[in-house]
Amino acid sequence: MAYRDTGHGEHAHHDVKYIAVFIALCILTGISVLADVVEGLPYAIKVVLVLSISTAKALCVMLFFMHLKFEGAWKYILLAPTTILAIGLPIALMPDVATRYYISAVPQDVDYEEAMAHHPDSHGSANEHDTEHPEGQPGEAHAPHAGESGNADTPPTPEAKE
Amino acid sequence: MSHHPPQPGSNLKMGLPIPNSKLGLWLFLGTEIMFFTAFIGSYIVLRIGSKGWPISPEVTHINVLLGGINTFVLILSSYFVVVAHEAMAKKNFERARMYLIGTFALGLVFMGIKSVEYFGKYQHDILPGHVAENDSQAANKAVNEFDLAVEKTGYNDLKLEIAALELEVAQAEEGKKAALEEQLSASKAAFAELGPFADAVKSLKDQVYAETIDFAAMSKRVEELKAEFPEKAAGVHEPHVILYGNIFASIYFLMTGFHAIHVIVGLILFAAVLKQGSNLDEKWTDWVENSGLYWHFVDLVWIFLFPLLYIV
Repeated sequence: MAYRDTGHGEHAHHDVKYIAVFIALCILTGISVLADVVEGLPYAIKVVLVLSISTAKALCVMLFFMHLKFEGAWKYILLAPTTILAIGLPIALMPDVATRYYISAVPQDVDYEEAMAHHPDSHGSANEHDTEHPEGQPGEAHAPHAGESGNADTPPTPEAKE
Repeated sequence: MSHHPPQPGSNLKMGLPIPNSKLGLWLFLGTEIMFFTAFIGSYIVLRIGSKGWPISPEVTHINVLLGGINTFVLILSSYFVVVAHEAMAKKNFERARMYLIGTFALGLVFMGIKSVEYFGKYQHDILPGHVAENDSQAANKAVNEFDLAVEKTGYNDLKLEIAALELEVAQAEEGKKAALEEQLSASKAAFAELGPFADAVKSLKDQVYAETIDFAAMSKRVEELKAEFPEKAAGVHEPHVILYGNIFASIYFLMTGFHAIHVIVGLILFAAVLKQGSNLDEKWTDWVENSGLYWHFVDLVWIFLFPLLYIV
């Protein structure tokens, strides 16, 4: 392939209002922080919201700050393999670790189940979460303050977080 | 491939219409994407595979506001880089230099805030392998730290020294006896001064090993001892149970640590430009563009680390 050599700096002269991109990024960050600070927001919605915001922010940075919007088709060839491999790795790990295909006796899980059995009330949002995932993907569930005692000193209340 | 080889003097060139350095940097960023998604992917997988996870900020000492401020700092610095590159392309080098100085300063601010956060983790001993995940681990950890504190006071050494001196006194000739006895009584006085702390620790240790003390009482006793012997017990942490705390700390430090290393590398890249001072010229335009691309990538990684580690 041969291209017209237009010299350097061509890509720098697109009429992008960088300040507008910057303000959009700031507003999106603010919403993320608010989503964490505001009380009463269901956990699942919070997760979906903040991760969508991150993706939107990442797109803003890549398209405008990194000029990908204005680059030639080489960007697809260059970024496709790394994207596929990057997505492939977690998917490849998923069956072993995340879906518990293997039965494992992790001591923390034993403690966790015990704590949940003793203090089901103190982990309201964890239970709420469990009902949303009947298959029992408790990944985002709140870890309790382990043990039967000492809770008075450092309350593990998930309510304090949300 | 070209069907028409470029004629000498024409402005046709082979390859991509971007500088080689930029192509190289993008290829490097391709490997970087895989590097960080390996961490993020492992984190997601480990987290989904765990029944619980410590997310309460009272427990993890994660501060969403500090993380949010750092996000803003990186976004602003990214904006500065993009303006600097634009100024470079327009040959307005003084303006570019000002914005690059701003970027560099913001990078330092980011590292400063990160240090504050790391120091907090260090103070609460939320470090990989240091976290007690249940009551008995917390009790054992407190006892071990108290033992180290006693060792540090020199109590155990003094005990041996006194035994040795007593033996020497018993065997000494009349002339040397007085001096040795004086030394012995000085050691004994020092030993007696350290006694109360060592005894208190021993009593707590016995209770913990005999399992006659529960977590709340042990916790309270540790606090009392820290208040009573503030200097001697300075190295003892308040008992703090975090279920899944070690894997949490590993992931937190691995991801933020590698990100921080990337920030430092970016600062070095910008320092190289700023070193030119007012001699900055168009030779540096590609450098600024490429280090800018790298910096945006560092920003990009943080954009994902912030919600994943601080919010979710």
